[in-house]
Amino acid sequence: MAHLAETYACVPATERGRGILISGDPRSDTITYCNGRSVIIRQLGAPLEPSIYGEHAYQATVARFSPNGEWVATADVSGVIRIWGRYGDRALKNEFRVLSGRIDDLQWSPDGLRIVACGDGKGKSFVRAFMWDSGTNVGEFDGHSRRVLSCAFKPTRPFRIVTCGEDFLVNFYEGPPFKFKLSHREHSNFVNCVRFSPDGSKFITVSSDKKGLIYDGKTGEKIGELPMEDGHKGSIYAGSWSPDSKQVLTVSADKTAKVWEIMEDGCGKLRRTLECPGSGGVDDMLVGCLWQNDFLVIVSLGGTITIFSASDLEKPPVSFSGHMKSITSLVCLLQGGQKVFLSGSYDGIITRWIQGTGYVGKVVRKGSSQIKCLAAVGEEIITSGFDNKVWRIPLNDDQCGDTEPVDVGSQPRGIAVAVQIPELALVSIDSGVVMLRGLKVISEIKLGYAVTTSAISPDGTEAVVGAEDGKLHIYSISGDTLTEEAVLEKHRGTITAICYSPDASMFASADSNREAVVWDRESREVKLKNMLYHTARINCLAWSPDNHLIATGSLDTNVIVYELDKPASNRITIKGAHLGGVYGVAFGDENSLISAGEDACVRVWKIEPQ
Amino acid sequence: MGVAEHSKITFLELQRKKVHRYVIFKIDEKKKEVVVEKTGAPGESYDDFTAALPENDCRYAVYDFDYVTEDNCQKSKIFFIAWSPSISRIRAKMLYATSKDRIRHELDGIHYEIQATDPTEMELEVLRDRAS
Repeated sequence: MAHLAETYACVPATERGRGILISGDPRSDTITYCNGRSVIIRQLGAPLEPSIYGEHAYQATVARFSPNGEWVATADVSGVIRIWGRYGDRALKNEFRVLSGRIDDLQWSPDGLRIVACGDGKGKSFVRAFMWDSGTNVGEFDGHSRRVLSCAFKPTRPFRIVTCGEDFLVNFYEGPPFKFKLSHREHSNFVNCVRFSPDGSKFITVSSDKKGLIYDGKTGEKIGELPMEDGHKGSIYAGSWSPDSKQVLTVSADKTAKVWEIMEDGCGKLRRTLECPGSGGVDDMLVGCLWQNDFLVIVSLGGTITIFSASDLEKPPVSFSGHMKSITSLVCLLQGGQKVFLSGSYDGIITRWIQGTGYVGKVVRKGSSQIKCLAAVGEEIITSGFDNKVWRIPLNDDQCGDTEPVDVGSQPRGIAVAVQIPELALVSIDSGVVMLRGLKVISEIKLGYAVTTSAISPDGTEAVVGAEDGKLHIYSISGDTLTEEAVLEKHRGTITAICYSPDASMFASADSNREAVVWDRESREVKLKNMLYHTARINCLAWSPDNHLIATGSLDTNVIVYELDKPASNRITIKGAHLGGVYGVAFGDENSLISAGEDACVRVWKIEPQ
Repeated sequence: MGVAEHSKITFLELQRKKVHRYVIFKIDEKKKEVVVEKTGAPGESYDDFTAALPENDCRYAVYDFDYVTEDNCQKSKIFFIAWSPSISRIRAKMLYATSKDRIRHELDGIHYEIQATDPTEMELEVLRDRAS
């Protein structure tokens, strides 16, 4: 049996030039955001146990808890809102198609009976408010001509709704049933976010024209603004009120967050400017914020979440990150006596994780090119991307040493490295393999067939090369030449993964026809077959350190663990490990399996053999 | 394509007198008929039966599956398994596919039919799911 021990969640998906909206539940100290098709609910006190909802058919954009904390309303780019129960089996309460385009913001009414949603209506309605259980409309929202970026519901009676959008307008509606009351055109650029203070007396709009304006909550008249002298120097993407309605947090593209005090008459005064730690690049632009209880949660464009303490603004913040895009490879490295996992995603981000702690850091590389293949051995990592270069980078915690790339002639399709002889690496390219010793290409061997992946035995004397037609070619390595020893034909699909067991007595191979086979190295006989339980291409495979278990991860989102001395039918299946497919598996120790996949999350599973 | 008399008799023995756990049929190309290749004693298990099927050739098989239902009754169902592994020759697969109706017609009293193209499709769990 296998059960989930830890999840290292992904970070919110961000887009340059737009803010993102994260929300939370103050009662249980949770924040929620979206990435891809998943909605992530994260407890600030227990970061290793997020819960992830993956039922949307399209990319999810915004998620909000209902005022009583029982329900969650989530919206996606197709204009659909799903309302589901937060606890238990997440039963779907209702699903409505609210707009004909993407939904950018949604908010519950304070009594939990109505929901207002806004977004891109493709020329038709841009905003809709409806009853949560029946979906009946509760107002007419005209007045906008372009995408509506944010909407807000007044948290106290009498109910009001404010919307703001790309047409620079801020519209005020009275109701229910909601009708247009007045409109403001005070901003000179996109109005990114509108939020009511928790006591309902005021609301603030922030815009890409670097201004923040404050209005009266009941009448909608402008009463003040955030002073320009200490103001932001870049577009303001989001704002959030403090629970006592006296302060506002704003985040901006100028990479700072500011806390303002808002007086009774609506004037604002800068209280403090917060700088988030970062390297100073585009990725540090701040795009989302949330003020919840004592926490100021700030999200940057690169996906880093920084948490400040509201009561003690001087205290250095806690920051953590993760992946934003799908993870393509996962390797395990021993660093300073500790097992560290490196996960690489195709956009070039490599993140370090330690079991039990979670996010430890990001590997900062020079020239973060995209990553297709990643291998790690000793104190080095070897990466290759979509160009012809292979980088061998010495790793010192999370700092990378200086290194030069090696040009291998064509795009590498796989990298294999000999565990005991780290300088020896085999790079598979389209028509052959290239042998590298250190940073030098010692030989380029044309093999006459399309190579997909390869593996070198830990002692560096033997290599197995997998071909596109399903054949496994075994070569012995001597100096800089490969001599073909045998060809094994059993697979019925392109070979996708080959891995030697840690004691080098066996190797396992997997193909795109869902089959995995374990071979004995000496005799080249099949040791364990019929490992056919996946329903789609196998992407990755890994051996446990005691040579006893083999794990395979596949595009069908499952991870299957087989025991070597039992028949293949006695397998342990982990269903739905990663939405979209599993792209990397590795063993932490005998009983823990780490997997990473398309949903940009890394999960740790504890395996109990039967 | 005919069905040998012996095949029908062996099936009836399995069905009525319960002297076999399973019967494996093969198509004899020379005589152009379905003959009995192997039978299994009642004491044999499902694993013995799976081991008796060739890995890369097609067969027909009949298996007597005993199980206990939720309300604790002992029940027994007869499964017809058309074993056609994807690694077998195309000619064999075609031959067995076209003659299947003929033999099914003769074997009266089959409860469930399963077509298996690899060992995972005829696991014990699959039979158990079908039976309940």
